[in-house]
Amino acid sequence: MARAPAKDRLVAIITISRGTMSGGRAVAECLADRLGHPSLAREILRAAAARLGASEEVLQTKFETTPGLWARLSREREKYVMAVRTALLDACLEGSIVYHGLAGQFLLRGLPGVLRVRLIAPLEIRVRGLMDAHHRMGRRAAEDFIRNVDQDRRRWVKLTYGEDVEDPSLYDLTVNLRTLSPESACAAIAEAAAQPTYMVTDEVRDVWTAEAEACHRRLDEVTAGRADRWP
Amino acid sequence: MAVICICRGSRSGGQAMAERLAATLGYPILGREVIQQAAEQLGVSAATLEAKMSDRPTVWSRFSSMRRAYVVAVQAALAEQAASGNLVYHGLAGGLLLRGLPALMCVRLIAPLQSRTKVVMDEFGMDVAEAERYIRHLDESRARWVKVMYGEDIMDPALYDLVLNLETMSVEGTCAVAARTAEQPEFTLTDAVRDRLDDFRLSSRVRLAMAGDPDLRSLELEADAHGGVAVITGHVPLRTGGRTGNRIHQVVRSVPGVHEVRMKVDWFDPYP
Repeated sequence: MARAPAKDRLVAIITISRGTMSGGRAVAECLADRLGHPSLAREILRAAAARLGASEEVLQTKFETTPGLWARLSREREKYVMAVRTALLDACLEGSIVYHGLAGQFLLRGLPGVLRVRLIAPLEIRVRGLMDAHHRMGRRAAEDFIRNVDQDRRRWVKLTYGEDVEDPSLYDLTVNLRTLSPESACAAIAEAAAQPTYMVTDEVRDVWTAEAEACHRRLDEVTAGRADRWP
Repeated sequence: MAVICICRGSRSGGQAMAERLAATLGYPILGREVIQQAAEQLGVSAATLEAKMSDRPTVWSRFSSMRRAYVVAVQAALAEQAASGNLVYHGLAGGLLLRGLPALMCVRLIAPLQSRTKVVMDEFGMDVAEAERYIRHLDESRARWVKVMYGEDIMDPALYDLVLNLETMSVEGTCAVAARTAEQPEFTLTDAVRDRLDDFRLSSRVRLAMAGDPDLRSLELEADAHGGVAVITGHVPLRTGGRTGNRIHQVVRSVPGVHEVRMKVDWFDPYP
């Protein structure tokens, strides 16, 4: 169950959405250092997997690949999404975080005190990053890999939330790493997070707590097969 | 220190943000006035030029020499103002008109249709449907203009360094983020950047001189200046026995700041 929130937090939760090899991890780590908050991604997936008794890999696959027809009609997807949302809200209630894992902008959608950031980078930079990380990978293979991952994520978001993951109106701030270094992007995002709009007040914490409790209840129902509506 | 171009839809709150940003940074601000300055250079009315810069062009008119001259004139007026390295510009297509300029920061502001509609309703006394139609018409015209002239989608976030959403962020918030970004090292005004700004201004002056000359107006010529050396490129019909080449040289050499002209023009026979 969600814990009582700490009283000394004032800075927003930051969610970072980005394509693979877009430099999102570097920006998230820079922000975490600057703000003194943990930078989380897989940790949330791990907590959700533990809650469901599933492996982290299974959960990651459910979040990254387009489900088949049967999976679309079953309640399975709702269960996985709800587990990750619950784990993410629990983490938010423990203290401010920078979340650069999957679908943060949707998992915390509509909640106050959340700054939703999208990072974009030209394909060329992303391809070079991937080739540097995997020395044996050729340019063509790197381009194909990035395009396929992007396409899978776009489809998954479309199917799950009915939105285009690249639509800037889903985010408070979109930062282009074509010109800006990760450090400069980090400075811009930190400035946005410091704005009064995103301040985490007692009222904001109350909303998060209520939402986390609702998520826990819903997850219990879904895992016990008692949910009374289709996703 | 940066040249900041703010791109936004009509009634998105962009002007308020631009004014606040310019005041915060102590930069000059430029909007529609650039049209007036360009119109004076070309000897046409500001209304004509503004219409050409915002009406939907047809694919064919993209290639018309007059439309090219209008765009070149606006670009040159903008380059004059941007040469100091400090400017907030909130007119049409700043990022595209100044493409290639160093220390250029492009910001796109987005706002929900609902809030924009409300502004138009209050301003013109329109009903919701009418106000929405008005905004969509303006948005489509601008998007079409950018698509036809530059082949780009004005909404594509990849064209901008920052996209700021006024649905959740206040005008003060967007201004603070843009100001902080402008302080980053990518936008530092070094001596090398100053030289490139001067080169950009000179290139724009040369392009304007060629576009304003009756003999050269119809030719598709490009200019790239470095340290007073103007390199002229283009694809030009060879039909006047060398007179066109002499004219290009003469017009370009007359631009203050140009001390050498290098012709790299591709001549072709129009009647092979």
